[in-house]
Parts: sequence; C-alpha cells; structure tokens
Amino acid sequence: MNYYERPTPLQEQANIEAIQHFVEHLNQFKANCDALRSIECNLSTTVNDALKSVLLSPGRVIQTDDGTQWQHDLDLSSVTSVCHRRTAAGLEFAVVECLPLKSGEIKEVLNNGHSVRDVLRAFTHDQRQVLNLWKEDVKAQVREHLEEKYPHQDMGIVVESFEIKMARAISETRAVTQSQSRGIRI
Amino acid sequence: METIPKTEESQATKATERLAYSIQEAADMLGVNYFSVYRLIQRNKLKVCRALRGKLLVPRTELLKLLGTE
Repeated sequence: MNYYERPTPLQEQANIEAIQHFVEHLNQFKANCDALRSIECNLSTTVNDALKSVLLSPGRVIQTDDGTQWQHDLDLSSVTSVCHRRTAAGLEFAVVECLPLKSGEIKEVLNNGHSVRDVLRAFTHDQRQVLNLWKEDVKAQVREHLEEKYPHQDMGIVVESFEIKMARAISETRAVTQSQSRGIRI
Repeated sequence: METIPKTEESQATKATERLAYSIQEAADMLGVNYFSVYRLIQRNKLKVCRALRGKLLVPRTELLKLLGTE
C-alpha cells in the first residue's frame, strides 16, 4: 500500500474510532513525554537544586528495598526523586522510585553514580527507552484492535499514523535535549 | 440472599483467573499508571510475554508475585 495516498473514508473512520479507544494510552503517553521533556529542559537547574539540597539541612530519609539509606533532595515526579548518600568514595546520587502498589510500596534505585548530572542523563535515557517500549506495545494493540474490528481491511495506514504520532512525541523530547546540549534554542 | 447462577459464577471465576493480562489490566490490578507498568517491564521486575501481534501480556503469576499473594 502507498502510504502517501489519502486514507479511504473507512480508514479515516477507523482512525477516529481507534483514537477514541486508545485515548487513555495516548493521554498518559503525551503527559509522560511532556514530563520527561521538562526534566531534560531543566537539567542544569535540577543539578544545581540537588547540589544545594546536599549543603542544606538533611531531607527525609528513604530506605530502598536493598537496605540502602538515601537523603531525599528533590522530586522528579510523583514517584521518582533525586536522593544522595555519603559513601567512603564521596557523595553518591540516585534517582529513587517509590512505587505505591496495592500490595505495598516498592522503593528502588533506578540510576546512581557520583555525578548528579550523569545520573539524571542516564535516567532520562532509560525513560525514553520505556517510552519506545510503550509505543511499540500500543502499535501492536492498535493493529490487533483494527484487525478484529475491520477484518480483511488494510488498516496499515492507521497503525502507521499512531506510530508516527507517538514517535514524534518521543523525538521532540530528544530534540530539546540535543539542542540544549549544544546551546541552541529552538 | 441473591446467589449467582452457576454458569455466571464459573464465567466470573474464569474472567478473574485468566492466564495473562493486558498492560491496562495489569496497571489496574497493581494500582499504578501505565508508565509505571512499562517501567517495571523495562527493569525486568515484571516479566511479560507477547501475543501474536506483538502486544505485551503480563502473566497472572507475575502479577501475583509482585502483589505478594503467591
């Protein structure tokens, strides 16, 4: 199929219906892309705030599931925060996730290291990988949904439009980071 | 007291005892948002399998393990 062709009325109808069906996925996906973009745009400020927090009075203590104790510096989201601890090798920073499951809270170190900037970069890199995993899963779900709803119809263009929409949201996040690292404002 | 007819009861049991769940269902069962579920998958805290079209499915046993009920 030539994807440069205009979609047929049935494909347009399927697209509208699929957007409605996957609206929760799309909304949450966009919100998380925006949140990641915000962390990347404010990386230098976040680094400074974390370092300032180390010098100020100690924050609350978070004990992760591996038994390590961390001082809370600042929140990145409702479930992730930047923390630090003093070790023999110097200060160690971490992004800690406190995930409230119905059965209890999981407290885990997602990324750690001696440079808070590197830790945050590793964190945002990992989050982008998660967004890609999410994108691929939604693509598969959309394909399955359309095959059930419109059997024997070519809905490739609709699946592709979902993929492009989500890939664009991820790449916009990456574009901001790259331009910032070169000091270019877009 | 109302009782559930046997056929409905067995259907309800089947529905709650499926072998695997979608990401949305897993998120509901764990009480977290979708992104948190994908993060757990990415970190291998939640093992998944793929359906024919590549859709991710979370095995019931994995959910129970994480919920500490197994």
